Amino acid sequence: MSNGGEAFERAFRQAIDDLKEGEEKPIESYLGLVPEEERPQLSQLLADVLIARGPGAAPGDVTESEGYRRAVAVVDEVLGSRGKAGILPGSLKAMRNARGIEPDAVVERLAADFAVEGEEGRQALARNYHRLETGALLGSKVSRRLLGSLAKIFDVDAADVLAAARPAKEGPTLRSVPAMGRSGGEPPEPSRSQTERLPDPEVELVERLFHGGSEA
Amino acid sequence: MAEFDPIEERAIEMLDDVRLEAVRAETVVHDDERFEFVLWALCLRGVPVIERVCRARGEARGLGEEEIELATEDAAARMLLRLSRPEPQPQIHALAAEVAAACIDRAWPAQPRPPRLSPRAPRVRLIKGLDEAIEIGKVRPNDWETS
Repeated sequence: MSNGGEAFERAFRQAIDDLKEGEEKPIESYLGLVPEEERPQLSQLLADVLIARGPGAAPGDVTESEGYRRAVAVVDEVLGSRGKAGILPGSLKAMRNARGIEPDAVVERLAADFAVEGEEGRQALARNYHRLETGALLGSKVSRRLLGSLAKIFDVDAADVLAAARPAKEGPTLRSVPAMGRSGGEPPEPSRSQTERLPDPEVELVERLFHGGSEA
Repeated sequence: MAEFDPIEERAIEMLDDVRLEAVRAETVVHDDERFEFVLWALCLRGVPVIERVCRARGEARGLGEEEIELATEDAAARMLLRLSRPEPQPQIHALAAEVAAACIDRAWPAQPRPPRLSPRAPRVRLIKGLDEAIEIGKVRPNDWETS
């Protein structure tokens, strides 16, 4: 401010006082208080001050409100739970709680979407959905079809859900391993006891949806 | 949340909204671990907008305090989902306002309505032969002056 005049000094002081009071006006109104030749210098000075101050508080401070506190808690919780399925588990749980949707209702909708009617299939859905919401599943292994269905249930864009499921960097990266081949001969017919133990096709479908990779 | 160099954190906090959004898009695409902190910084700017929009629109829609706060939580989670997308997103205040408005405008379960105060319906009985009784003078109609 060494080469600024009295008007310059006054305009700058006023801007600082207004900033302190949280009542800053547009920069143009301070620039209008000084002669034209001093405006670039004042403009630069005020810009430096604003940058040093960082982002200003939004007008009408709401940071004391319960709504603000609860929203920040959601952000903290979702980001804090980021893991193998990205921020999807935390987001699903937060949206479900906020909209008062019971996990059973999500499972019902998934069952309807994928025509899972049997008890075992539904149990598999409930078990796997719980694992997804608690961050126990790998996001990259969850099928797009399932993520699309979840997006419909939670009324969000499918692309949002897909992006949210990207695993955090430190999460384990599992790769599919080619099956070990056995050469020679037809595979033996399964015995009766083996066929009895074959998994329910609906359970198989559910397992594929949750663990079979994005194209499953 | 992971901890980063405090100077770097401060530098990120100091970025304006446009630059911070650019950093976000870049950290998502490159799977940069600072993504988490950038997201946190952006959300802290978006949450006050969410709070204000939810409150103003919620009150205008006649929602209660708890419903407005639930909508605020809902919007915060949805804003995070949007910010995890690799493509550039609108300026954070605009995004937060858009998400918050959608969370208030959704269909809410019908609230149990308090009983309406309306006048009780008059109980009227039709008396057979009343007209005849009046005609022969057996019964006299009400007279506002005498009754």
